Amino acid sequence: MTIALQVVISGLAAGGVYGLFAVGHSLVYRLTGIVNFAFGDLVGLGVFTTLLVLAGTSPVSQSGAHEPRFLLALVVGLVVCVAAGALTYVGLVQPYLSRGSTIGWVAGTAAVAFAIRAAIGAVFQRSSYVFPDPLPFHDVGTAGFVHVGGAQVQARAFFVAGLAIALALGSAWFLDRTRHGQALRAVADDQEGARFVGVPVDLAITLAFAGVGAVAMVAALAAAPGEAVNANTGTLLGLQGLVAALAVRFGPPLRAFAAGLVLGVVEAAIANVHLGGWQLGPSYSQVLPIAFVLLLISLRPSQGALEERE
Amino acid sequence: MSALSQTAVELRRAAVEARSRWSSSAWLSLGALVVAAVVPFLSLPGVRVDALANTAYLALAATALGLIVGPGGLPSLGTGAFMAIGAFTSGLLVARSGWPLEPAALAGAAAALVAGLLTGGVVRLRPAFVAVSTWLLAWLVWLFLLAFPSVSGGAQGLILPPKSLLGMNATPTVHFEVALGLTALIALAVYALRRGAPGLELSALRQAPALAVSLGVRLERRRLAALAFSAAVAGLAGGLSVQLQAVADPNAYDPFLSFKLLVAVLLGGAAATLGPAVGVALLGLIGLVSGPLARLLQLPLERFDAAVAALLLVFVLAFGGEGLLPWALRYVRRPKPWTRRAVAAPARTAPGPNDPVLAAHGLRKAFGGVVAVDGFELELRRGETAALIGPNGSGKTTALRLIAGAIPPDAGGIELDGADVTAAGAADRVALGIARTLQTMSAFPELTALQNVLVGRAPRRHAGGLVRTGLATPRARRELQASATAAFEALALVGLDQVAGAPTLELTTSQRRLVALAAAIATEPQVLLVDELAAGAGPDELETLAEAVERIRERGVAVLVVEHNLRLVRRVADRVLVLRAGAIVAEGSAAEVAASSVVQEAYLGKARL
Repeated sequence: MTIALQVVISGLAAGGVYGLFAVGHSLVYRLTGIVNFAFGDLVGLGVFTTLLVLAGTSPVSQSGAHEPRFLLALVVGLVVCVAAGALTYVGLVQPYLSRGSTIGWVAGTAAVAFAIRAAIGAVFQRSSYVFPDPLPFHDVGTAGFVHVGGAQVQARAFFVAGLAIALALGSAWFLDRTRHGQALRAVADDQEGARFVGVPVDLAITLAFAGVGAVAMVAALAAAPGEAVNANTGTLLGLQGLVAALAVRFGPPLRAFAAGLVLGVVEAAIANVHLGGWQLGPSYSQVLPIAFVLLLISLRPSQGALEERE
Repeated sequence: MSALSQTAVELRRAAVEARSRWSSSAWLSLGALVVAAVVPFLSLPGVRVDALANTAYLALAATALGLIVGPGGLPSLGTGAFMAIGAFTSGLLVARSGWPLEPAALAGAAAALVAGLLTGGVVRLRPAFVAVSTWLLAWLVWLFLLAFPSVSGGAQGLILPPKSLLGMNATPTVHFEVALGLTALIALAVYALRRGAPGLELSALRQAPALAVSLGVRLERRRLAALAFSAAVAGLAGGLSVQLQAVADPNAYDPFLSFKLLVAVLLGGAAATLGPAVGVALLGLIGLVSGPLARLLQLPLERFDAAVAALLLVFVLAFGGEGLLPWALRYVRRPKPWTRRAVAAPARTAPGPNDPVLAAHGLRKAFGGVVAVDGFELELRRGETAALIGPNGSGKTTALRLIAGAIPPDAGGIELDGADVTAAGAADRVALGIARTLQTMSAFPELTALQNVLVGRAPRRHAGGLVRTGLATPRARRELQASATAAFEALALVGLDQVAGAPTLELTTSQRRLVALAAAIATEPQVLLVDELAAGAGPDELETLAEAVERIRERGVAVLVVEHNLRLVRRVADRVLVLRAGAIVAEGSAAEVAASSVVQEAYLGKARL
């Protein structure tokens, strides 16, 4: 029971971040019909830019974490993330979309992904870095851990899970209730129709393409101090988000977010749960869900959104 | 005549044909192969033979990838993963079970083939999903290898003992020559596939999937076979190359390898058979130059490998994404003027007895709450032309799509020649003898008129599979020839044999309609469903179309036209059926129907002026 609680809470924290990536993937697919292979890396770029402004390239640092410098670093990171996302869309996605070239945008976004990974790897050459913590979580409980019903849980996990859920609900509210959100939904439903009634379609899509990166980046930053980060961190988050989004076939935002939460809990369960002395272990936690979703879309491709139309 | 002498005759004919086709680019390819084969013996400065051999194995994998990226239009981001699967299957068999290299490499190819088949179900979806699933696979394989040191040998990798290759000591030079030879063989096979039925059908599926399926092309089978082929070749390349390094290192197979191979294919040009190999060679050359340059500038340029590949790719895409080789070939090879071929007048099949061939009973289809077709009954006889008319939204196209099998009915059934075909899908029904022309997208833009019609031969091909075409077996070659003749006859039937070699884009709209009709005829249908053939056609065009429809009927085909143009209806239809709110409300000759009050009501409503 105690382990179950631990699994659920830490799983929800990781899953909340996956969920926001899933929301991003899903929204971008619904708006444009593309899958952004650089999504995770664009967020990674923002996270590492923040780290660079905050602490330079030294491997471990708590310096500057509490200062206004963190705010500056956060803003610079967000701006870089959003700008890079917008540039990717305008330069490498939109031209090929309008030309109807799938290979163009697939190769283009993959190129951005690998270029960003290479750039991060060139500046941050160590195999892992510790992200300085702007919030004093290590003062909470015993060295950052709190006891809940006998289980030891990182205090940060509550914060990350809560923040992710708030961001997801906020995004859903934005799409549902605000004028801009409704414009985006109109674009997703019928691009030509939306254009006809005066929605600035290209601008809306560009902003959404870049904006989902900013939302995901905030969640990734909140989770970042929890474990070591490297150039693969963003890529893998993007990958998990894609896995979750695929599992619900690029469904509506809250469903994609829920899929992310489930993915997080499943991963934590695979890594930690013993069943009668039998345990899969952490090695399986990352690969099993990917393999499952890969087989799922291959053996049971859905009708509808993913299918080719006449 | 024995089978042996028959084969000999075939071979001689093939040789003659090959000689007549022996072009400058064939000489160029042969020359390049010979030059490449002697490179390891030249001991060029800075060129390591093992790196050469590795590059040759990458060229092998890329050549097969070119088939699915070029004609198929399926961007795979997972070729490196298939290489890794081949490499570690082969490596484990050699290192742990003591297998010789050759069977181990073949087992690697088989493992990659299975992986390709298991993950290839996404070919039913949009082509982008091939990229998604192969991208997931690339990461999955790499993460798996990192997470399971027991398989991958952990940090130091899987150590492989020295082995022999084809009876020789497996030195890097032997590896290089073997890889080069295999690349040449696979390139020949890919060349045959591109020119044969698989290439044509893959290309048709890329340009207009719905049209290709309506002509009986098996989308899933074609794409999946091509994907599995490229996976197997990548697996073979991985299975052999792994022994070259003596260590199987998981980090050599990270997802970047897959991306690099796709870049190589696009850089060299997926439209040419040897484009991918040229692309791999170019990336190798860049690597050769950047190494010393990095040392000179004291920069960690190896780290920028990915950035360089990404930049190259963006550059290629910015110039239209054609790639180097096809671009260069345009300057070498002038477009051949298409030649007219004399052809005997198409043999007319005697119109069969006027027995019923198609029957539809109680068809019903609703889309959400909207009932498009309800209680639809129809009987068609051989050699008759029936016209289905009705106001907009009366369910004409839906009825046609139900009969063609493009959508399943909610209720009711369809019989062809007395056999129930309700469960058969669209491509299956074409094979059974129900063909349909589509309302829109009447032709494949990148193909010639004749090639367009050739796509329609898909359901009548029996030896046009990947293996037979790739090996250029006599049967496959004969069939290719026979298909071309049949397609030509179909073109002649609609009066377009004079423009057989013209690119579709140069044809007029009415010629494109006729090409679509000819393609449907090439499937050898018993029943032909024609959707809105005359939409927007002028009076002259109308006459041409009407003549074509009559000639088709004279062959004993039952024709059902859905038509708004009542002039064409009056001209061709023996019988007119009036559809209203999804059911047939009147039937008779054109004159009878025109006089019917039900029809006037259907079109104009009750309150007549």
